[in-house]
Amino acid sequence: MVQSPVRRFWRILIAWMVVMLFFFPLFYWFTVAFKDAREIFDIPPRIVNFTPTLANFEEVFGLDFGGQKSQVARTGGGNFYMAPRLLDSIIIALFSTLLAVMIATMAAYALSRMPFRTRHHYVAWVLSTRMMPPVAVVIPIFFIYKNINLLDTYTGVILIHMVMNLPLAVLLMKSFFDDIPREIDESALLDGASRWLLFRRIMLPMVKGGIAATAVLCFIFSWTEFLFVLTLTQTSLKTVPVVSSTFVTSTGTAWGNMAALGAAAMLPAFVFILLVQKQLVRGLTLGSVKQ
Amino acid sequence: MMTPTQGPGRWLTWDRPLPWLLPLTVVLLLFTVYPLFYNIWLSFHEYAPLKRQLVWVGGKNWSTLLEDTRFWQSIGVTMVYFFVVLALEVVLGMLIALLLDSDEPGFGFLRGTLTLTLVVPPAVVGMMFLLMEDPEFGVLSYALKSLGILDSSTPILSTPSLALTGVMLADVWQWTPFMVLIFLAGLRSLPAEPFEAAMLDGASAFQMFRRLTLPLMAKVIAVAILIRGIDLFRMFDYVYVMTSGGPGTATYTVSLYAWQQTFSFIKWGYGATISLVTLIIILIMANLFIRLAKVRW
Repeated sequence: MVQSPVRRFWRILIAWMVVMLFFFPLFYWFTVAFKDAREIFDIPPRIVNFTPTLANFEEVFGLDFGGQKSQVARTGGGNFYMAPRLLDSIIIALFSTLLAVMIATMAAYALSRMPFRTRHHYVAWVLSTRMMPPVAVVIPIFFIYKNINLLDTYTGVILIHMVMNLPLAVLLMKSFFDDIPREIDESALLDGASRWLLFRRIMLPMVKGGIAATAVLCFIFSWTEFLFVLTLTQTSLKTVPVVSSTFVTSTGTAWGNMAALGAAAMLPAFVFILLVQKQLVRGLTLGSVKQ
Repeated sequence: MMTPTQGPGRWLTWDRPLPWLLPLTVVLLLFTVYPLFYNIWLSFHEYAPLKRQLVWVGGKNWSTLLEDTRFWQSIGVTMVYFFVVLALEVVLGMLIALLLDSDEPGFGFLRGTLTLTLVVPPAVVGMMFLLMEDPEFGVLSYALKSLGILDSSTPILSTPSLALTGVMLADVWQWTPFMVLIFLAGLRSLPAEPFEAAMLDGASAFQMFRRLTLPLMAKVIAVAILIRGIDLFRMFDYVYVMTSGGPGTATYTVSLYAWQQTFSFIKWGYGATISLVTLIIILIMANLFIRLAKVRW
């Protein structure tokens, strides 16, 4: 379509302004992470005119960059050393993703390639588990876990995060298998290959990209999940989103430390999401809208 | 290769769907179906503090629910939140998607930047907006006051009439890009011919959007509304970290109410009852929508 130069100029200008408006809260949050406690509370708020400091990161991750220490003594107490919580987040996201992707890939292959009478009902059932409100799952799961001693354990959280991601992983992997022409299966089976061999040697290599995209999305959803970890853990483990909301002391909230932890937790997610840009929409729509 | 053709063993060969679906089926039965029945069982019991155990209370939780004004208020808050935020995100998402649907240099970068909001933990987004909406030093409050939109003495999140708007802002910020990305994928895959024909016939841009873009995008829009709608109705994270339901009951969503009844007020059975109602409403609404909009997987 031919556009007049004036309209083109306005379109580019407005597009940049809109996106910058969306980017601003993230940018502001990162500046808070590098601010001294006093500068966070300055009026008018400081956007770029502040003296950056690494003190917040040093405190949260127990590091020493050798810079000048924060001038403001912490009042109200509070321990903000959170490196172990970052490790908790990584362990939980990694293992729940691994399990979800393994189970989902197998199931998705069958749902894509082996017709059986109740297949549509089965897919609808998987989809309907995605609709369950987390609160209606976490209340009974809390009591079940309590009875079998899974509260406050890695296993408990890993399992529930895996379950949370399964509908997405199954439907998404099914859409990737659906993309592969059926003739490949048929000729391999005619040549005498077993189903397992066909799956292992031919299908898996062909859906590698899909598996990677599915894994990234599962990882991110586990990484950002809040309600299950909040409810099912007490003292021995917590993930980053949950501890982020607890940076409150008797004299106020430790915004700088919280922002430092939040910023550090966002960076890996940003990198991951940019890696799967091409499959992102398909993932967000559970495989139903293809780019 | 030998495959047994008789007996139970014949279902457990790789040529049958059963072994492929077995792990998924077992996991979903254990972690979604069993808890569902456990929840129904819980809803007919209640924790008795004196006996320190659950006791059978029959339909008491369900009859309490009908007369509980706070429950109905939470349904009201959830409904308002659901419709307002969904409408805002769909309309804004479509406008921004139309704006960005172009091959101008730099637009790929802009689309990539928008995706960043999606991977921030919602609880952290809640804290971000809590800070920005702080009545004393929040950058958003400051901007709104400077523009004369906000009274200098009004704290957004502790004013009953404004608190829900303050929470909605966080949601709209984080999830409008979700709509933008899905709609952009839809816009990009539209066929060119109908639009060229319409141009020749002298159709206006609005007519083309109304008569061609919207109908051709119907499926994509329906999927986006379904997936976002499910999440909106069970919203918990933002209100938990930003307002805890307050001031008063202004931002109590059903999920938060069910959670607090169970874990803060030790009303295990009643909390379970409320969460079941949430589940039922979501399943009915989603299935109705799937049928009406003919969404298929």
